Amino acid sequence: MQQEYVLPPEPVSNEAIAKRLTDAARAEIHSGRLQKKNFVWLELTGCSGNIISMMNGTNPDLEYAITSMVNLVYSNSLMAAEGEKAIEKLMEALQGEFILAVEGAVALRNNGLYHVIGNWQGQPLTALQAAKMLGERASHVIAVGACATHGGPSAAKPNPAQCVGLQSVLDRKVIQLPGCPCHPDWFLGTLAHLLMYGEPEMDNLNRPLMFYSTSLHDRCPRKHFFDKGIFAKTLGEPTCLFKLGCRGPVTRIDCPTRLWNGYVSWPIEASTCIGCSQFGFPDQMAPFVVYDITRE
Amino acid sequence: MAKRIVINPVTRISGFMEIDVMVENQLVVDAKTKGNFFRGFEQMMVGRNPFDAIYLTQRICGICSTAHSTASSVALEDALQIQVTEIGRYVRDIIHGCEFLQNHLRHFYQYTIPDFVKLPEVSSIYQADHTDFRLPKEVNDRIAKNYFSSFEFSRLAHQMLAVLGGKVPHNHGIFVGGYSMPPTADKIIKMKSILQKISDFINQFALPDVYDIARFYPDYFTLGKGPGNLLSYGAFHRYKNLGTLYVEPLVYIGGKTESFDPNFITEDIGYSWYAGKSTYKPLETMPEPEMEKKHGYSWVKAPRYKLLPFEVGPLARLWLSGDYRKGISAMDRTIARVLEAQKIAKIIGVLLDQVIPNHSVQQEWQLPESAVGVGLVDTTRGSLGHWLKLEQKLLSFYQIITPSAWDFSSRDTNNIPGTAEQALIGTPIANTEQPVELGRILRSFDPCMSCATHVYMPGKEPKTIQVFG
Repeated sequence: MQQEYVLPPEPVSNEAIAKRLTDAARAEIHSGRLQKKNFVWLELTGCSGNIISMMNGTNPDLEYAITSMVNLVYSNSLMAAEGEKAIEKLMEALQGEFILAVEGAVALRNNGLYHVIGNWQGQPLTALQAAKMLGERASHVIAVGACATHGGPSAAKPNPAQCVGLQSVLDRKVIQLPGCPCHPDWFLGTLAHLLMYGEPEMDNLNRPLMFYSTSLHDRCPRKHFFDKGIFAKTLGEPTCLFKLGCRGPVTRIDCPTRLWNGYVSWPIEASTCIGCSQFGFPDQMAPFVVYDITRE
Repeated sequence: MAKRIVINPVTRISGFMEIDVMVENQLVVDAKTKGNFFRGFEQMMVGRNPFDAIYLTQRICGICSTAHSTASSVALEDALQIQVTEIGRYVRDIIHGCEFLQNHLRHFYQYTIPDFVKLPEVSSIYQADHTDFRLPKEVNDRIAKNYFSSFEFSRLAHQMLAVLGGKVPHNHGIFVGGYSMPPTADKIIKMKSILQKISDFINQFALPDVYDIARFYPDYFTLGKGPGNLLSYGAFHRYKNLGTLYVEPLVYIGGKTESFDPNFITEDIGYSWYAGKSTYKPLETMPEPEMEKKHGYSWVKAPRYKLLPFEVGPLARLWLSGDYRKGISAMDRTIARVLEAQKIAKIIGVLLDQVIPNHSVQQEWQLPESAVGVGLVDTTRGSLGHWLKLEQKLLSFYQIITPSAWDFSSRDTNNIPGTAEQALIGTPIANTEQPVELGRILRSFDPCMSCATHVYMPGKEPKTIQVFG
């Protein structure tokens, strides 16, 4: 029996919802109704910080995800094999059905040669080739983090490697999970939805509504200071950071209620929001911290 | 007969690297380590709001982002002539220390262990590509179990970082002045509680595990030495009241320890894809790319100290501080990483006891019209430098030399191979079909190629990338 689906997120229910989703996925797999699908995690032109963020997931954690939700067949950061024997796993995956997650942008410069991700049969395999080859054949494609969704920091001006987001090189639907990095729940929750219920409900930019529907500002615990016009002059103050450059008002994401790293904190508890889950990040979200707002 | 071995990608590192070696009579006679991708962060920084460097340079690296926020905030303090307070240093060093713990646990268990321990194939990624597994079954099974436990503890180290950092990777807690939001008692005790769990894991599991691996793979005490020159910019040192908790800025050269002088740092582009003056100082110039260069083979330049390659990182620091002097080798490097995790955990505990709650170090920082700033810090993988210039209150120049550029540099104009290249040359390869020695030696340095190949220089566009040198 399918369990009732509850829309996140509220802080007290984060773990409960995640648990509900993953328990249901596990039950489906155990009952045989759901086969463990092959899953490829491709690191392209970026900082490889999204796989690190995925490893920071708690319920589900990455260990659970790769043992009980999917069969991880390729990850540059984690896999035991190296060299062509590693790339061989990627080529084997192409022969069957698989879900693809991509972090990092696609470097176009020099016909993609600005980023070689490995060798295959003695030839360089570029990030561009890998993105197209796997992206065209995967059952679902998820762009994880700012570089994959729109180029992100890898495409910051002057964009030296001519980086673009994954969607720019693929003529198919790509689920977009912007963020720098992507929160583990945004990715693992999306993956769980795909496995159990198919595609999640998304906005016109292909962002899942369960994470990206509400502006951060609307749920910011400092919003009452904004409403009263009380603004911080330095980062150490507890009042509204808007006049220091906070991008909360233009950023649609659930950070204030979801929280990060085992749900202990989030960026505005430390400093300004820099709008890292917005498509314009970083260039259109800069400057991140300013003391003379009239200068901009 | 000479045989060429190419490994690309070297997996279980951060970023992308290729090893290209020649083997003759079962010995490595030549070795090249190559950085095969780049993004160009230095050029991206030009024209930006100076404070943005603290957040944007973190995006160079998903595994050591905190290191870049530390170096850039120190460089800005230098440029803005800000005297950072002791409490500011304590809290910044605590946040940075959490990254050491996370990185060391992650690199030892998740990136190094699969070289030596046969993991259960609960997922396809654990299918090994070699057969040189020597641990008795009960030891192998115990460490394999700890491999899976380690995810929880490296995650906890990031959680501790996020308590003051807001989130991680890419924290918001480090800023000019040390830290942004003042810690409170609930946060301090939360971190102490997490720290105790991590310390217990290091002492009860990580240390016995690394010594067991060393016991069954003793040949790695004789492999991967490298040039034997060691460097540290200093770490957790020169506190006004606490003195030096770890290591002073020192170098070990020709078998002797001497004090570190930043004026001896140069970069060389003899064998990397750049044109211009072959050797220069960090604030001096930015050379042009030159892909047609006859001898070029990597995007990683060659940082040098007194024109020599140096090793940086945990073993260098423990050696220079006098805590560990058993030897310099692949296995010593791996042991040093775990020993350093134990040491950093103790230091974080000392610093946490010094934190004064609810104390803000933030001001409305003023930018000068023009300035120069240098931030030299020792981070997880070794010595990291940010050099910056301001013009018209904006960044006009940015130079970064990362720890992995030190360890994975290309050859220099004097034809001296880089540190890791020297560590590979002379290595006996038991089975050229399974050259497991190469990856093991490389990973002992904890490569972070996202950092090493961040560099972009403006100028003529290269036509091709030469993948085979």
